[in-house]
Amino acid sequence: MLRLLGFALGSFVLAFVLPLAFIRKRNSLLSRCSLLLTLLGSILSSIAASIILWKGNSFSYTAYSYSPAISFSFLIDQLAAFFILIISVVTIAVTIYSWDYVKHVTAHNKKNFLTALLSLFVLSMLLIIAAKNMIPFLFFWELMAILSYFLVMFDYEQKTTAKAGIFYFVMTILSTVLVMTGFFLIYHNTGIFEFTSFNGASPVVSTAFILLLIGFGIKAGIVPFHKWLPYAHAAAPSPISALMSGVMIKVAIYGFLRVVLFVFPTPLLWWGIVVLLVGTISALLGVIYALKEHDIKRLLAYHSIENIGIIFIAIGLYLLFQSTGLFTLAQISLAAALFHTLNHALFKSLLFLAAGSVINSTETRNIEEMGGLMKRMPATAWLFLIGAISISALPPFNGFVSELMIFQTFFQSTALSFPVIKIVLFLCLALFALTSALAAACFVKAFGIIFLAQPRSQHAKEAKEAKLPMIIGESILALFCLGLGLFSAQIFSRIGAKINVSFGLPNLLFVGILMIAFAFILFVVLRIVASRKTKVSETWGCGAISQQSTMEYTASGFSEPIVTIFSPIYHPQKINQRFFFDSANTQFKEGLVEIHLLKFFEEYLYLPVARGVEKVSSIIARTQNQVDIDPYLLWSFLTIITLIVIAGVIL
Amino acid sequence: MVFLDDHHSYSYRRGDPMNYSFLWFSLINLFLVIILSPLFMTIIKKVKAWAQMRRGPPILQGYYNLFKLLRKETIYSPTSSMIMRITPPLNMILLLVAALFVPLVYVPSPINGIGNIILFLYLLALAKFLMALAGLDAGSTFGGMGSSREMTISAIIEPVVIVIFAALAFVFKTANIHEMVSTAITSPIYLFSPSLILLSISLFIVLITETARVPVDNPETHLELTMIHEAMILEQSGKNLALMEASHAIKQTLLMALLLNIFLPWGVSTSLTFSTVVIGILLFLVKGIGLCIIIGIFESSLAKLRLFRLPSLFMIAFFLSFLTILLEVFG
Repeated sequence: MLRLLGFALGSFVLAFVLPLAFIRKRNSLLSRCSLLLTLLGSILSSIAASIILWKGNSFSYTAYSYSPAISFSFLIDQLAAFFILIISVVTIAVTIYSWDYVKHVTAHNKKNFLTALLSLFVLSMLLIIAAKNMIPFLFFWELMAILSYFLVMFDYEQKTTAKAGIFYFVMTILSTVLVMTGFFLIYHNTGIFEFTSFNGASPVVSTAFILLLIGFGIKAGIVPFHKWLPYAHAAAPSPISALMSGVMIKVAIYGFLRVVLFVFPTPLLWWGIVVLLVGTISALLGVIYALKEHDIKRLLAYHSIENIGIIFIAIGLYLLFQSTGLFTLAQISLAAALFHTLNHALFKSLLFLAAGSVINSTETRNIEEMGGLMKRMPATAWLFLIGAISISALPPFNGFVSELMIFQTFFQSTALSFPVIKIVLFLCLALFALTSALAAACFVKAFGIIFLAQPRSQHAKEAKEAKLPMIIGESILALFCLGLGLFSAQIFSRIGAKINVSFGLPNLLFVGILMIAFAFILFVVLRIVASRKTKVSETWGCGAISQQSTMEYTASGFSEPIVTIFSPIYHPQKINQRFFFDSANTQFKEGLVEIHLLKFFEEYLYLPVARGVEKVSSIIARTQNQVDIDPYLLWSFLTIITLIVIAGVIL
Repeated sequence: MVFLDDHHSYSYRRGDPMNYSFLWFSLINLFLVIILSPLFMTIIKKVKAWAQMRRGPPILQGYYNLFKLLRKETIYSPTSSMIMRITPPLNMILLLVAALFVPLVYVPSPINGIGNIILFLYLLALAKFLMALAGLDAGSTFGGMGSSREMTISAIIEPVVIVIFAALAFVFKTANIHEMVSTAITSPIYLFSPSLILLSISLFIVLITETARVPVDNPETHLELTMIHEAMILEQSGKNLALMEASHAIKQTLLMALLLNIFLPWGVSTSLTFSTVVIGILLFLVKGIGLCIIIGIFESSLAKLRLFRLPSLFMIAFFLSFLTILLEVFG
C-alpha cells in the first residue's frame, strides 16, 4: 500500500516538475508526458482507495513529527478513501480529455504551466483528504487555494478574468481564516490538532461549528457566499472548471463531513435546522439563478451551487436525525449526502467537459449563439444529454437515486417528535421538489438551445465534432453515471447489509430491463401495425416561406415564464425604447429592449462590504504615505508592545 | 421505520424471477391501461360536446384516430435530429413501465420496488423532459413556446405533487402505491378521513394540470392562448403522433387510477381469481367513466386561466395538501 501510494505521489510530483523545468521547450511533448504521469498517478491512487474501501482497513503514515501534538501525518480511512476515489476518477477523465484540449492553448510555456499546475492541484486535494490532523490539512488547503487561484487566472489576458480572480482570492482567503479559527477553537479546548471529539462548553462548541460551517461553506459555494463560483468557474479553462466544480468544492464537503462526523459526534438539534435551511436556500437560489444564465459555464456553476445545497440538505437531515436519536435515518441521510457528492462530481465534470468541447468548437460561451450542434457534434451531444438527464435527477441515472434517498428520508421524518420541526421539514421538502423540477426545466433549456434546432451563428454552423480523447474522457464519466444509477439497488443492498440499514431503493436495473423488453415489443408491434413510410420535409409553419434560425425560441425566451413567476427574486427591469423618423411617432425607425435582472447578493451584500473595506483601508493608508521613517517605527513599536501584552495575558 | 423496508426488493437478484402473480398483474394492468385510455379520452370529449349542445364524436373515435395515424406517413422537419425520432417510442415505453406502478384491478405482492411513488413521478418527468426537448428540436416557435410553458408549469406544480405524495406516505405509512392501495382496501376507515378528502382535491388539480386540461391548458387546440401541450407535439406526425397521443392518454388513465384506487378502492382486490378480476374491471370502468364525466363537466364550466394566474391555482392545491400534513402532525 505504501509503495502504491508512493508511486502515485511520485508520478504527481514528476508531472509537476517536468514541464516546469523545461517550460520554454517549444513542443507539446512535455505537457503530454506530464498528463500521462498525472493519469498514472490518479489510476494508482484510485486503485489504492478502492482497496481501502473494499477491505475496510485504514492506512496511516507519519511523515514528520515535531512533537506528539504537532505532526505531519496522514491517515486514509474509508471516508477519506471514498473522496480520494472521487477525485481520482474525475482526474482520470479530465487528463484523458486534456490530451487534446492542451492543443488549443497556443503558447507553449502556458501549455506546460497548465499541465504542471493541474497535477499539483490534484495532488494538493488528495493530500488534504489524506491528512490525519489539522496541520497538514491546513497546509494543503492553502496550497490548493493558491494553485486554484493561479488556474483561475490562467487566461489573464482577458479583462473578466481579473475580476474573477480577485473575487475568488478574497473568498478563498476568508474561507481559510474561518476554518483556521474554527480549528484553533478546537485546539484550544482539546489541546491537540487531531480530528477528535470536542466536548467543550456549549457556546464554544456551537461557535466552532458555525465557524467551520461558514468556512467550508464558502469554499463549497453555499448561498450567500456563492458569488465566486460563477466567476471563477467561467474564467478557468474547461478541464480546470470540471475539476473545480466536480472535485474542489467536494474537498470542502469532505472537510465539513470530517469535522461533523469526528469532531462533533453529538450534534445539537438547531445545527441540523441551520444546515438544512442553508442547503434548501442554496439549492433553490442556485437553480433560479442558473435559469437566467446564458453563459454555459456560469449556468453549470450555478448548478453546482444547487447541488451543493442538496448535499447540505442531506447533511442537515443527518444532523437532525442524529441529534434526535433516529440513527437509522441519520445513516440513510449520510449515505445520501455521500452518494450525491459522488454523483455530482461525475455528472458535473461530464457537463463541464462536454461544454468545453462545445466552447472550443463554437468559440463562444453564450448559448444564444449556438444551436443545431446535435447534428454537427453528435457524440458530444449525447454525452451532454446523459449529463443533463443525470443532473435533472431523472431515472435510471445516478442523480435520481441520491435525490430519491433524500426524498424518502424526508417522507420518513414523521418519526420525529417535534411538530414544528416536522412542518419546517415538509416546507423544505416542497422547496427541494421545486428545485429538482426547475433543474429539469433549466437543462431542457440548456440542451435544447445548445444542441437542437438550427445554428444561430456562423461559428455554430461550422462547428466540428470534438476529438476522440475528449469523447473518451467524457464517456468514462457518462458510463459511471449510468452504471451507478442502474446498479444502485444492488450496491446499496450490499452496503446496507454491512451497516444493518435497509435503504429500500427500487431496483432500477429491473426497470431498465423492463424498458428494453417494452422497447422490443413496441418495435415488433409498430413493425406489424404501423406504416413504415417516412419523409424529411419542411413542416408547416403557419405560412412561413422557409424556416430561419432567427425565428427559433431562444434561451431568454425559454426562461421568460419562469422569470415572470419568480419576479420577486429576479426583480426584472424591462427597458423599452422606440425611435421614430418623424415627430408624430408614426414611422418606426428602431427600437431597443433590454431586460435587467437584479444581482441581489452582489448589490446588497458584497459591494457594501467591499466599499466598507475600501473606506477603512483608505483611512489606514493615510497613516502611511509619509516620507520619513519615524511614524513607521512608532507603529512597529506599538504593535510589538501590544502583542507582548496580549501574549502575556493569554499564556 | 418499517415503511420503506421493502423486503421483496431484491428477490429478482436472487434468481427468483418475477413471480406469477406479478406477471399476471403486468398483463392485466397493461392490457387494461392500453385499452381504456383512448376510451376515457373520448368520453371526456363527448361530455364536453354535450355541455356545448353538440353530439360529439362516436365513442370509439379515439381508437379510429390512433389507427388512422399509425397508417400515415411520418414527416420529419429537416431541422430535427435524433431526439425527434426517439422521443415518441421512448415516451411510450416510459409510460408503459409507469403503468406497472398503479394497480387498476389487482394488487400483486410488491416486487423490486415497483410501485415506488417517487420513481413513478420521475418516470413521468423523464417522459416530459424528452417531450420538451422534441418540442425544441424542429426549431419552430410553436414547439419552443410549448416546451417552455410546459416545463414552467411542471416545475411549479412539482412542490404540490411532492407534498401530496408525502402526505399520502404519511397517512398510509408507505411510499409504495401498491401498498397504499392494499391498505386502502383492507381498512376502509381511511375513506372518510378529512385528510384524504383534502388530498383528493389537490390530486384532482394535479390530474387536470398534468393532462393539460382547462383551466391550465386546452386539449382541443394549439392556438396562442393555450399553446402548451398541443403546441409541444405540433411537429409530430404519423405513427410518432399516434405514440405521443396514446402515451398522453395512458398518463391520464394512470393518474385517474391513482386518484380512484387510493380514494375509492372498491373493486380492487389482492387475490387473483377470474371473478374478482371481472368484477374489478367492471367497477373500474364505472369509476373511470364517473371521473371522466366529472372532468368533462369541470372543464366545461371553467374558462382558461391566464398563464401567470396559474401559480395561484397551484397554491390552492398546495395549501390543501399542506393542511393535510398539519392535520396529521397535530391531529
